[in-house]
Amino acid sequence: MKQGPRLEMIQENMKPGAYTAHGFLGDDDRMLKDILREDNSAVERHGISHGEIAAKMRYFTEIGRRFPESTVTDGDFEITVDDHRGFIPCPFADNEKALKTNTRLYNKRTGETVYWSDLNIHMIMSHGFYEGKGSFFRTGPVELAKTLGLID
Amino acid sequence: MEILKTILGITGISTVLAVFIIVAEKFLNNYGECGIDINDGGKLLKVDGGVSLLSALASNKIFIPSACGGKATCGLCKVKVLDGAGPVLPTEEPYLNKQELQEGVRLSCQVRIKKDLRIYIPEELFNIKEFNATVTRITDLTRDIKEYRFDFREGEEISFRAGQYMQIETKPYGKVKERAIRAYSISSPPSDKKGVELIIRKVPGGVCTTYMHDHVREGDEIRITGPYGEFYMRDDSDDYVFMAGGSGMAPIKSIISDILEKKLDKKMIFFFGAVTKKDLFHTEFFRELEKKHDNFKYVPALSNPGPDDDWEGEAGLVTDVMKRYVETGRDRHAYLCGSPGMINACIKVLTSMEFDESKIFYDKF
Repeated sequence: MKQGPRLEMIQENMKPGAYTAHGFLGDDDRMLKDILREDNSAVERHGISHGEIAAKMRYFTEIGRRFPESTVTDGDFEITVDDHRGFIPCPFADNEKALKTNTRLYNKRTGETVYWSDLNIHMIMSHGFYEGKGSFFRTGPVELAKTLGLID
Repeated sequence: MEILKTILGITGISTVLAVFIIVAEKFLNNYGECGIDINDGGKLLKVDGGVSLLSALASNKIFIPSACGGKATCGLCKVKVLDGAGPVLPTEEPYLNKQELQEGVRLSCQVRIKKDLRIYIPEELFNIKEFNATVTRITDLTRDIKEYRFDFREGEEISFRAGQYMQIETKPYGKVKERAIRAYSISSPPSDKKGVELIIRKVPGGVCTTYMHDHVREGDEIRITGPYGEFYMRDDSDDYVFMAGGSGMAPIKSIISDILEKKLDKKMIFFFGAVTKKDLFHTEFFRELEKKHDNFKYVPALSNPGPDDDWEGEAGLVTDVMKRYVETGRDRHAYLCGSPGMINACIKVLTSMEFDESKIFYDKF
């Protein structure tokens, strides 16, 4: 089934070059509505919410932001935040823009590392969007929640 | 058979409707020639209706700052429209405050020209020029920062104030099919009129920085416009404190060079924040300036020097290091350039040290 014109427009915004060099979809050829639906189902199956995941990401980013580009330890986690000049708009065309801040989180207990931008936090919180498979910042919601320490 | 007939019927009707809409659009959206009166008759333009005010002005060599190329995401392309614009669009609202709305300020990329317009543009924007410049030198400064020298064509010159920025227009590359425009501060001094130097840090996934770092080579020709911006040295008798990190060094280098070339009677101290020694650059350049000029001091500060750095200089966050050298903000100006996070941290510390907020300057991009 086709997706509506608004999601079509957003999917266009997510192509390489529109907002970022690599775009937001990687090599994922699914329609945006399917990407959103499948990630949403995965989150629901594990009894968590996009809001909880985004809030935990924001928590770590704020800790790292105090010492930009240096590695900060918080319990089992090592956080490194990279700050760049400028802003990036949200491809969902909701008039939101995010700082060009990237966070790297290493979970010493699981040995996993995840990487996200401030825009990812907004897109997860407001749209339940984790980017398409193979994209630069994509970490699936379950893997992300595990590395954040929200689920085992 | 019936099903096939129905499908063909619906397809036929849809095709006819689509053609009708396309033809109707041609006539309904044909606004003909429209006039733009700039600054009460200062300049009169005739343009084809239906295009955005931003692109109509650009095609007449009037360049309004725009870092997003007309997507209503940077909020830089503000122009006062006195008459002839339609209602403010929802895409504009987040970028316009109450006073701007009352004064008729609009995002020029969102104003579609449908009839004659009367607009106001600050005079300095007429100084903005378009250059087809050649990249004549690329210098690696750190693992992710490069400096680019752009030389203009024979006979072309630029006049700018130290601290201002240029806009680069990328060409399509790789999977990137559209051109993009981004802003970068000038690092060379205004006395160098035959070209400009820009310091560009690669942003992961950045459209323009990826283009510049991975696709542009010495000898390439690139379209740049400028100068833009209100981040420049104010004439006054106060001493200056400069704080920057990463590619934020660019406008500060230009301002310091300009002041020293003009032999202005002004004490200056420049705090440059980096993480480790390998993130420092142009150290020799500023050390040389220190040797030659008693009124200038350079203080590089490492927030996390490595064991191999053998670092004997200042360590800690650049804001903490600054407090060791500057007792009060009274009679001082502060010029900041870096990421929004760094700028916010600096403003917080500076205002706590009695720096007058109206004397703290920074670029908002």
